[in-house]
Amino acid sequence: MIKLEHVDKYYGSFHVLKDISFEVGKGEFLSIVGRSGSGKSTLLNIIGGMDKAESGKVIVDNEDISSYSDDKLTLYRRRKVGFIFQFFNLLPNITVFENISMPLILNNIMDEEKVKNFIKLVGLEGKEKSFPFQLSGGEQQRVAIARALIHSPEIILADEPTGSLDSETGAMIMELICGLMRNLGKTIIIVTHESYIAQYAGRIITIKDGIIYK
Amino acid sequence: MSFFKLLRILIFRNIQENKFLTFLSIFGIALGIALFTGVKVASDKAIASFESNIQGIISYSNYEIVDISGIDFNENIYVKIREIEDNCFPLLQTFAYVPELKDSVEINGIFTVKATQFLKLIPSEAHFSNPESHSRGFFEKYNFDDFYRQTNAVFITKNFAARHAIKKGDIFKAIVYDREYPLKVVDIMDSDILITNTIIMDIGNFQEYFGKTGALSKIDIFTDEHNANIIKSVLPSNLRIERKENIFKNQTAIVKSFRYNLQFVSLIAVLVGIFMLYNTVFISVVKRRTEIGILRSLGADKKIIIMLFTSNGLILGTIGSIIGILLGQITAYFSTIAVEKTISTMYTAITIADYGINVKDAVISLLFGIIVSLIASIIPAFEASNIRPNESSREGSFERRYAKFHKWFFTSGIFFILAGIGISYIDYYYAPFTAPIFAYTGIIMLIAGFTLASSFYFFILLKLFRIPIKKVFGIIGEIASGDIYGNLHRFSVALMSVAISGALIIAFLTIIFSFRTSLNKWIHKNITADVYIKPASCRANYCFYPVSENVIKTVESFSEVSGIDKFRGMQVDVYGKKIIAGFADIKVKREHLYKKYKDENYEMILSEMEGDEPIAGISDFLSIKYGLGKGDKLPVYTPEGIVNFKINDVFSSYSTTSGFVYIDRKWLKKYWGLDDTTQFSVYLKENVDADLFIRKLRDSLKLNYSFEIMNNQELRNRIIFIFNRTFAITYVIEIISIIISLIGVVNTLLALAFERKREISIIRYLGGTWKQITQIFLLSAGIIATSGILYSILLGPLMSIILIEVVNKLSFGWKIYFSIPYHYVAAVSILLFFTTLLSGLIPSGVARKIDPERFITFE
Repeated sequence: MIKLEHVDKYYGSFHVLKDISFEVGKGEFLSIVGRSGSGKSTLLNIIGGMDKAESGKVIVDNEDISSYSDDKLTLYRRRKVGFIFQFFNLLPNITVFENISMPLILNNIMDEEKVKNFIKLVGLEGKEKSFPFQLSGGEQQRVAIARALIHSPEIILADEPTGSLDSETGAMIMELICGLMRNLGKTIIIVTHESYIAQYAGRIITIKDGIIYK
Repeated sequence: MSFFKLLRILIFRNIQENKFLTFLSIFGIALGIALFTGVKVASDKAIASFESNIQGIISYSNYEIVDISGIDFNENIYVKIREIEDNCFPLLQTFAYVPELKDSVEINGIFTVKATQFLKLIPSEAHFSNPESHSRGFFEKYNFDDFYRQTNAVFITKNFAARHAIKKGDIFKAIVYDREYPLKVVDIMDSDILITNTIIMDIGNFQEYFGKTGALSKIDIFTDEHNANIIKSVLPSNLRIERKENIFKNQTAIVKSFRYNLQFVSLIAVLVGIFMLYNTVFISVVKRRTEIGILRSLGADKKIIIMLFTSNGLILGTIGSIIGILLGQITAYFSTIAVEKTISTMYTAITIADYGINVKDAVISLLFGIIVSLIASIIPAFEASNIRPNESSREGSFERRYAKFHKWFFTSGIFFILAGIGISYIDYYYAPFTAPIFAYTGIIMLIAGFTLASSFYFFILLKLFRIPIKKVFGIIGEIASGDIYGNLHRFSVALMSVAISGALIIAFLTIIFSFRTSLNKWIHKNITADVYIKPASCRANYCFYPVSENVIKTVESFSEVSGIDKFRGMQVDVYGKKIIAGFADIKVKREHLYKKYKDENYEMILSEMEGDEPIAGISDFLSIKYGLGKGDKLPVYTPEGIVNFKINDVFSSYSTTSGFVYIDRKWLKKYWGLDDTTQFSVYLKENVDADLFIRKLRDSLKLNYSFEIMNNQELRNRIIFIFNRTFAITYVIEIISIIISLIGVVNTLLALAFERKREISIIRYLGGTWKQITQIFLLSAGIIATSGILYSILLGPLMSIILIEVVNKLSFGWKIYFSIPYHYVAAVSILLFFTTLLSGLIPSGVARKIDPERFITFE
């Protein structure tokens, strides 16, 4: 499903990712573990088409997305990827319902029933008209999870999904992600610095100073 | 479909949320468009009226025969012309003033039987084939019995009657030439062709009633080129046959330059509006950078982002434009009055009865508003589309990206400034077009250049003053200056709003002050007589119809009179263009000049003019337009052929914009065979009370004549009044531009306050008081105000130099002495400083409403 071959990434003269190569199978749940500044988020961004590598290949479904134009990468993100961020990255001035609808609107496949179902699925009934600032951190992350899944992407990328939450809420969120993953059969890559979160995954890889240690 | 959903969710809601910001943006655009619409409508109506005046009442004629000096001529020639071309129409025309209606009218003496065929308003040339059939209804419809039988009988237009509530059978008094005449309305004509203030008389009655027996003003002809050439060959040397379209072109060009200037100044208002809209969209993009990043990460492509933010500008611009068009009806009304008065004083009497904005005007203004909104929002929209998806999680990347380009922007800015000055001076030296298009472009490039260079300028300024600011204002200074330093690019936008506002104020103050200084010098040199007299019918600066000889004799008979400078105004032909010639009694002027104006050089010029060689003084307009200087020859068409007058003086003349030539009256007699007077000035003996003399003179003239008599000071005051009235519309436009730019300042500071909600919340959480937050805002506003005003001190004078030296010179042919009113500039700068400082209070008020919890808990 996802294959990285000799990927290198620099920020100026700083070599963030060094000759990264690994594969992720379809439906697999992978955790990437590493300290702050180890390059794990950059790696996730490259897989998600939010950033580009200086060299190497990122092959998704037999296509090298590192050669994609900006427009093609946008389409890739829109259709194939669902993101879950540490700081939720919800649009602040629109409601829960509208935030979750956003991928459907962008893909021109708006389906109100589907949105309602997902709201139910993540346990946010009654909060449809709330704005993000009216929700707790856990609730905001639930919105982000629903938004990441609503357009049925093949890949879910989660960058420190529990990083802004207390451990209890974090555990609840991880249970939710795992439960949904089991039901929907998606490929998931989670980036985290917390080992107990990484344990939810079927496979763990460690990254340190831009190098992968499997 | 999805785009409109996004538009509703992301843009409309944002517009609704930021109500005050939205209101300011819309109001700014509305003012700009209102001004543009008003000025456009006023200029269009004025030009149309001016063109109708030139076209005359026989609007389908394509040639006209006139005297080369614009005076009335002997009607005998009509017989000869009629033998060549039957479609010719003799006319006698004059402007009259109706005091009781406070309105000017054009009286047309027509060869009734013939001309009414054409006044029957057949909107095609078809009537020339069978004019009689078309005229029949006309004679049945109107009261021609009285029209012929009563010498003072007139037809007036339906619009004129409605405007002044005049009915059939009413009599009103009009000052025609130098007397007052009762005119009787025998019928009211329902005509689309005739302009509102047209009065029709039978030519025989006109000649009889106004003492113009045997005279014609012009002959309108509808003919072909072949016959025109034959007619040309039979005309005496004082008459000329001209194609109407050529007259049209020459005459309207003068008025058009007036229009370009007004339109340009109104464009500056729109430009400031664009800048404001740009600020709004730009700040919105900066403020929503994280949101845009999120959208990009969710798969929103660049096209959608561009469309969303362009739509943001378009929505505000379109609403602003629609309101602007509605407001434009008010500005159109006042602009039309102002333009009508200006053109009537400077060029020829025009009347505009219709102030309404038509559908075409509204559509043009709306399209213009939409286009400028598009221009204003497209750059920030592109900026938004360049936000990368991963910027949603990176703070400060926006400013870092711009910081890299500070020097590059600065270099481009300097290039634009230099190019702007260079382009303006193409107009100064070569003037490739009638309108100063290069100079206008140059001014816009100057503004663009200063805008590009602003962030680097701000960077240098802050680098120099950041430590002193910290020392003086302590922690408040540290936060405020650090905040600006870290967000230099967006604060530069606010700085530029202040700079544009300040520059406009400085530029316009300089122009007004320079004009005033120059005009005062002109008045001091030229208004030297004790009493000034001209026919009351003459509303313009120069009069062209002779006054009765008896009036001159009456004035001469007063023992208080030391000398009379008899002045003859006339249109003369120079290089194929009509200019105004003033024939004065140089001897009298020289004898009395020393009492009020001493200038050896001028004395010598007048002394030379008195000599035997044909000598003339020319206005700057002719010097600029034809590159003429002292010692050159000026070829003037006279009934005796072309006479080359040697130029011995080039002077400023602010009384006309079509060129003026000053000649001793002995040449009037020699080359034009005339010795009449159209207006005159009187020098009184020592110790004579001018006001007492005027009272006596009025008493002796009032029974038979209508004259406007003024003493020296009254005329000086009148000139200043006319000057102020002429530029009143410009002042209003300038004031509105300044208001728009001040709105821009508030708008930008307000937008920055919205953007800094989180920072404000953090300061509050750290224990900062609202007073401290207000102080931070005020200090930020103070830094922006000071830096902006300093910047405007560079931009303003540059703009005014181009406006005075190039735009003014090319448009009006006036030389203006450039002088900066330092005291006013200092006073207004202080005012601008405090206005900007106060505008800092509005955002701090907004900041007070912020709920810190909301902005902190969001993360």
